[in-house]
Amino acid sequence: MNVTHDTANRTTTINASGRLDFEAAGAFQKELEQAVAAAAAGGNAVLIDCAGLEYVSSAGLRVFLVGARAAKAASVPFAVYALTTAVKEVFDVSGFGRIIDVLADRSGALEKVGRSA
Amino acid sequence: MISLTEELTLLAVEDDGRIAYTAGSPNYAMALVGACIVDLNKAGRVDADMQGLNVLSTEPTGLAAQDRVLEIIAAGPTQTTERWVLELQGDSPELVRMTLAQLQRRGILHQAEKRFLWALSARRYPIDDGGKEQKEAKLRILAALLSDGLPTPDDSMLIGLAVAGGLLEAFMSKSEVARLAERIAEIGGLDLVVSSVESAIRADAEVRAHAIMLSIH
Repeated sequence: MNVTHDTANRTTTINASGRLDFEAAGAFQKELEQAVAAAAAGGNAVLIDCAGLEYVSSAGLRVFLVGARAAKAASVPFAVYALTTAVKEVFDVSGFGRIIDVLADRSGALEKVGRSA
Repeated sequence: MISLTEELTLLAVEDDGRIAYTAGSPNYAMALVGACIVDLNKAGRVDADMQGLNVLSTEPTGLAAQDRVLEIIAAGPTQTTERWVLELQGDSPELVRMTLAQLQRRGILHQAEKRFLWALSARRYPIDDGGKEQKEAKLRILAALLSDGLPTPDDSMLIGLAVAGGLLEAFMSKSEVARLAERIAEIGGLDLVVSSVESAIRADAEVRAHAIMLSIH
C-alpha cells in the first residue's frame, strides 16, 4: 500500500492506493492518526482520496473507523471519496456509510467539509 | 485485557452465576464463533474480505477456543466468513467450555455445582473478580450507546455481537434496548466479520423457517 498526503486550502488530503490489508493496516492507522492530529492543530479538514485503493480487508476497514473517531473527537471535518467498486461494496456491507461521509468525488467531499473546490 | 470471545462469554453469565438462557440459541453460537474469528483477525492469524476468510498464520494464539477455530479454518477450504460461521456453530458448546476454562484460569470466575429440588444439580459460574471485567464490558457498551461519539472498533464489534447473540437484554431492559435501537443500528457491528455473523444468522433462520414450513405441508 502507498500513502501520500498534502495540505492546501485548509484541507489535508490523504491519497491511499494499493491494498489495505492486515499487513498495511498498522502503518496506515499511524499516518491517519498523525494527519488528524495535525489537522486539529491547524484547523484543517481531512479527506481520504480512495481512487487508487483497490482492496480493503476487515483489518483495513477498522482503520477508517479509528480515523473517523479521532476526527470527530477533535472536531475535524472528515470525509472519504472516490471509492472503487470493490471498496464501496465493503463500506456498504459493513455499514460504514452510516457513520462516515462517503462522497463520489473530490468536489463533493470538499463541499461536505465546508471547503471550496 | 481479555479477548472479545471472553467478553461475549462473560456477558452471558448472570449475577447468580447462571448462563443466560439466550446463550443456548443458535444466534449466540454464531456470535461466539464470530468473536473467535475477530480475535484471530486482531492477532494477525486471519483476515476477511468479501471473497473469503484467509489464513495468514497458523501459529497458535495461546487461547484454546480461538486456536481450535484457527485449526479448523486452516484445515478447510477457502470460503466466506458467513459460511465458516454457519459451519462452526455446532462447535460453540466446546468453544464456550474452553472460554469458561480460560476465564477460570484468569481468576475471573469459578465453576460451582448447585443443588436444587434435593436431587437436581446445575452448574454455575459465579464471578470472582468483583465483577470487574464483566462490568467493564457492560459499561463500555452503555457508554458507547449513550454518547454521541463514534465507538472504537472493539466497542462496535462487541455491541454488534452482543446484539446478534441476544445478550443486550441480559443486562438492559427491553424498553431501554428499544429506545436505543437507532443508535445500536448506527454504531453496532461496523465490521466485515460481524456483518458476516449477521448474514449467517439470517441465513440460518431462513433454513429453519423453511424446514418448519415444509414439515407443516
